Amino acid sequence: MAPDLAAPRSTLSLQAARFAGNRLAVVSVYVLLAIVALCFLGPYAFPFTGQDADFDNISAPMNLWSAHPFGTDDYGRDLLVRVLEGGQVSLAIGFLGALTAGVIGVLYGAMSGFVGGRTDSLLMRTVEVLYGFPYVILVILLSLLFGGGTVALFVAIVFTLWLTPAVIVRAQAQSLARREFVEAARAGGMTGWQIVVQHIVPNTVSLVIVYGSLLVPEVILSESFLSFLGIGIKEPQASWGNLIQSGTAQMDTDLRLLLLPGGLLALVLFCLNFIADGLRDAFDPNER
Amino acid sequence: MIPFVAKRLWNGLLTLAALASLTFFIMRLAPGGPFSRNRKISPEVQANIEAAFHLDEPVVRQFARYIWGLMRGDLGPSTRFRDYSVNDLIASGLPTSLTIGFWAILVAGLVGIALGLAGALRRNGWTDYAAGTIGVIGIAIPIFIIGPLMQAYFSVYLGWLPVGGWNEGWRSLVLPVLVLALPNIAYISRLTRSSLIESQRENHVRTARAKGIGPTRVLWGHVMTGALLPVIAYLGPACAALITGSILIETVFALPGIGRFFVDAALNRDYPLVMGITLVYGGFLIVFNILTDLVRGWLDPRVRHGT
Amino acid sequence: MACETPLTQMNANLLSLRDLSVHFAHRGGQTTVVDRVSLDLAAGQVLGIVGESGSGKSQLLFSLMGLLAGNGRASGRALFEGVDLLSLPPKALDRLRGASLSMIFQDPMTSLNPYTRIGDQLAEGLIHHQAVPRAQALAEAVRMLDRVRIPDAARAARRYPHEFSGGMRQRVMIAMALLVKPKLLLADEPTTALDVTIQAQVLDLMSEIASETGTAILFVTHDLGVVARICDRVAVLYGGRIMEDGPAETMLTSPAHPYARGLLATTPRMDDALTPRLPTIAGTPRSGGAMLPSCPFAPRCGARLPACDTMPPLRPFGPERRLACHLQGET
Repeated sequence: MAPDLAAPRSTLSLQAARFAGNRLAVVSVYVLLAIVALCFLGPYAFPFTGQDADFDNISAPMNLWSAHPFGTDDYGRDLLVRVLEGGQVSLAIGFLGALTAGVIGVLYGAMSGFVGGRTDSLLMRTVEVLYGFPYVILVILLSLLFGGGTVALFVAIVFTLWLTPAVIVRAQAQSLARREFVEAARAGGMTGWQIVVQHIVPNTVSLVIVYGSLLVPEVILSESFLSFLGIGIKEPQASWGNLIQSGTAQMDTDLRLLLLPGGLLALVLFCLNFIADGLRDAFDPNER
Repeated sequence: MIPFVAKRLWNGLLTLAALASLTFFIMRLAPGGPFSRNRKISPEVQANIEAAFHLDEPVVRQFARYIWGLMRGDLGPSTRFRDYSVNDLIASGLPTSLTIGFWAILVAGLVGIALGLAGALRRNGWTDYAAGTIGVIGIAIPIFIIGPLMQAYFSVYLGWLPVGGWNEGWRSLVLPVLVLALPNIAYISRLTRSSLIESQRENHVRTARAKGIGPTRVLWGHVMTGALLPVIAYLGPACAALITGSILIETVFALPGIGRFFVDAALNRDYPLVMGITLVYGGFLIVFNILTDLVRGWLDPRVRHGT
Repeated sequence: MACETPLTQMNANLLSLRDLSVHFAHRGGQTTVVDRVSLDLAAGQVLGIVGESGSGKSQLLFSLMGLLAGNGRASGRALFEGVDLLSLPPKALDRLRGASLSMIFQDPMTSLNPYTRIGDQLAEGLIHHQAVPRAQALAEAVRMLDRVRIPDAARAARRYPHEFSGGMRQRVMIAMALLVKPKLLLADEPTTALDVTIQAQVLDLMSEIASETGTAILFVTHDLGVVARICDRVAVLYGGRIMEDGPAETMLTSPAHPYARGLLATTPRMDDALTPRLPTIAGTPRSGGAMLPSCPFAPRCGARLPACDTMPPLRPFGPERRLACHLQGET
């Protein structure tokens, strides 16, 4: 191994610099921010909402200089506004879902890892059993249990996705608890709580960020997948999943209805994946 | 080795029991019943139907009846397809799902590992970039976008392959298998590449190189085992997930497999069918998890010895 | 710069390093970790290379075995029985590695293949290089395991590395390296990871078997106690350069270079039990960076002279000794 020659710098600034050096990831951040801004601000530029039908312009074709730049669907609803509004739902569920699942997972995993003993084996046995469940099936069943709709979908996705962060954080917490510097801190008279705050948490943060960034696309994908199947978010409320589904139904006559929501979803997923890759490389350069 | 297998089997059974119970109560607690859609039926008819399906009994009784049926391998009658039992429906749909899943996992495993190897052994060569591109596309573009696009191009525009259905032999298989395999090719090739690169950096591989046994023997004798372990750990659950992934594929390509039955049953509150298919999926997942552990235990003595 | 120092009996040596340098390329340019090292090692001799961590001593061994990391490059010459190891094509190098040239690594916990039985790992080299049938190779492996005093060797050969302690694994490594009866053994801090009590046993075992097979050892360590135990000659490395070398006895009793003296002073001694505090060498070791024209030890040196801004050449100093220090006239 070549010795590390860089002048000593704080780990965080080093990681930030490494991330900034990844052009693809940086561009992805900007593209993603642009899409988020577009989805949440864009609809205000139009005098109608995505649920208002324009009966004079049913199934209007694409015409960038008309009132409906990307045309309308077969109810006369503006396609662009619908796609942007659908994006609001998909993105909000994606980020909030990943955050919630991440927080639950971290707390559960940290608790399991620190307390150890009986509690740990009980908590982890629970996770193991849940891991044995087929993921897609569980999401579908849970969203049925909570009566369908946005909230049910959210709860179902969070309920199934907190497992991985929990397992990862537990493993990290356990290995950290055995490390020399923690022992040194203990020998130096720090209390358990001080050790957790000053040594353990900072050392799991990078891991949580990396896996959290992977959770976001997973949640978005789950949402659109369920909505596509007709189990998640239902008409007339738009989401990328159900827009793609209705686009598929008409793809032999009009590909536009599929390509606009599909393209935007794919673009967001591309960006999120590149960002996750960039974060992983920045925080854990040995991976490559 | 025997306690190793026994422990896995016991855990699997536990998971399956938990899954069966959870499914049962989720379906009972979920709002709406199998017959609540038919508003017109009279209370007497409703009562008759509920009696026929034992829905009038206390939940605990229903649960006991259900578990008793399970132990005899009887999943009960379907509430939607009145003349069929859940066993019949699963028996009719499973072959389709398994056929697609089998070919998809075969294609994904072979192509994925091959691309990953090529990428790792010739880093930054053209195969590496090709594999990287396929990887990014396969991971970022969901099945339900790629599937319809492929249908639009190969079936509607070129007219080479059927849009969907299950009546044209191998031609019906091509698109579903391809679309189902693609994201897995992506995952497997990425995983193979990174774990092979990592494995090449292990200290014991350096020891092997120092023995002067040549790069080929170093690769197959010392790098490969360590590199394939994570891939195998992924492949096991992925095999089960491919059968699960067929939910989308079967919907997109209108195939008569159990995935489509499941969505149908879930939307129509066909409790027995939902539960039956859930258990089939769960069973597959457990079996593949055990197989994975066995292969890992066979390759890695540390897993086998439980350290 | 040409070869700095004429060395005696050029051709009688098993290994002759001439201006051996190791560089690592990285984003900011190139780092030299070993700088123009010239050394000789006669057959059957034990040469210790002593230095702190980061002095480039491990990389020196890796360069001889062709095991440098992807961004590493070695220049100069390393003649092994007259053949330059550095310019050897990979196939030719593989005929030497694990046959007449073998190596023991620093970390016994990770240097054995966790997926393969110990016996097979030992036998592999014999089967490959000497075309010994598998059964016979395994029998020889068992004999060798017994020789390094692994209890119940026949059974141990069928076990996996994780079933052994660190000390036992390092014995396995030694058995593996010496099984092929190499002419030269490269040992990279083989005892650093072990308990002190086990260190001595392992060292004695190693030198015992090596002297039986007539194997020369190039022994890299930071521990002067280890040097005293087994080495015939010692070279002190600092910042990738040789500061001083000579016979082990004189080097350990009367080191001339300020760094070598410091190193000796920081080594705990049994007869010095009353010393209240072990002395240290002030400052931190230089690690890498562009090679400076000055003596690498100058920033930490207590006897620094104005002349130390230039690197002193390595000059003969007393019988069979060499020294690179501007102070040498005064001492």
